[in-house]
Amino acid sequence: MQSEKMILKHPLNVRIFHYLLILSFLPLAVTGLILYFKPLSEASMNLTMQIHVVAGVVLTIDAIGFLLIGFDRVVLFTKRVFNISINDFKWFLVLGGYPQKILLKKKIAVPPMAKYNSGQKLFGVCVLIGGTVLIFSGWILWAFPHLVPRQTVALLGLLHTFFAWVLTLFLLVHLFLGVYMFDDFKAMILHGKIPYDESKEMSPLWVEKEIVPLSDKAA
Amino acid sequence: MENKKYQYIENPLHVTRREFITISGIVVAFLALPAVWIKTLTSANNNYIQARTKGLYQDDEKAAVRVSHANKSVTRYYKEFGDKPLGHLSEELLHTKYINRTKGIS
Repeated sequence: MQSEKMILKHPLNVRIFHYLLILSFLPLAVTGLILYFKPLSEASMNLTMQIHVVAGVVLTIDAIGFLLIGFDRVVLFTKRVFNISINDFKWFLVLGGYPQKILLKKKIAVPPMAKYNSGQKLFGVCVLIGGTVLIFSGWILWAFPHLVPRQTVALLGLLHTFFAWVLTLFLLVHLFLGVYMFDDFKAMILHGKIPYDESKEMSPLWVEKEIVPLSDKAA
Repeated sequence: MENKKYQYIENPLHVTRREFITISGIVVAFLALPAVWIKTLTSANNNYIQARTKGLYQDDEKAAVRVSHANKSVTRYYKEFGDKPLGHLSEELLHTKYINRTKGIS
């Protein structure tokens, strides 16, 4: 039976950053796919490009804002996603036990994870590197192509397309597993809190090493 | 559910000062590197354009004939063959038509 003890997993500044990320990246992914496959008329393609640019500007403001306001969280996130151990390789061997759980309704032993599991860490690395490349290349391609040599613009276009595909495909997995782990979904979308007992099962190393009772905050 | 209190938080001291400085440095360097790369490329491009402009001006300064209507060969062409500038024969021989080649490029 689950207790009512709760952990604050996603503070308000992280949730606001994530809301803006949803508002900007989802339209970016959809319009990006339309721009890549060009299925619409010329007028509709122009409108798609305008939406893509506006969403890109929102994403840029969101990323820079969070970098400045929540720099400590960026550092913490970077530390967590690049903290790789043998457990991560073991986790990928069984894919975190999700295929067995979802398809076979079978629970298997999974290496203990910290706040993020190995899949989330890989996604985090892609978001950090790919997100930076996408924002940077997007601005050059949209606003300053005339200032940069033509070959560089072509290279940035290729990088933009490559990382856009990587993050868009990862996004599908992220959305599915995000909703599948419903308590975590509610924590990120609504109130930031997650049941202690569930965290202890899903992220035992996080609870063991990083979680402290609220009364010990000042200690 | 939204109003439910929480009893646990992440330890705010989970990152040591040394780790914080190291990771901050890497993050800032990662963000600065592309900017430096683009700045170098842009400068190289601008240097090339400036050098070419300077070369063209130097060529102009050295050139005996600087404008087409002072070119003896062109003058001779119109006098002996092409009739006059923008004349019927000259237009037929020298003028070209616009062709949209952008579809072939993209």
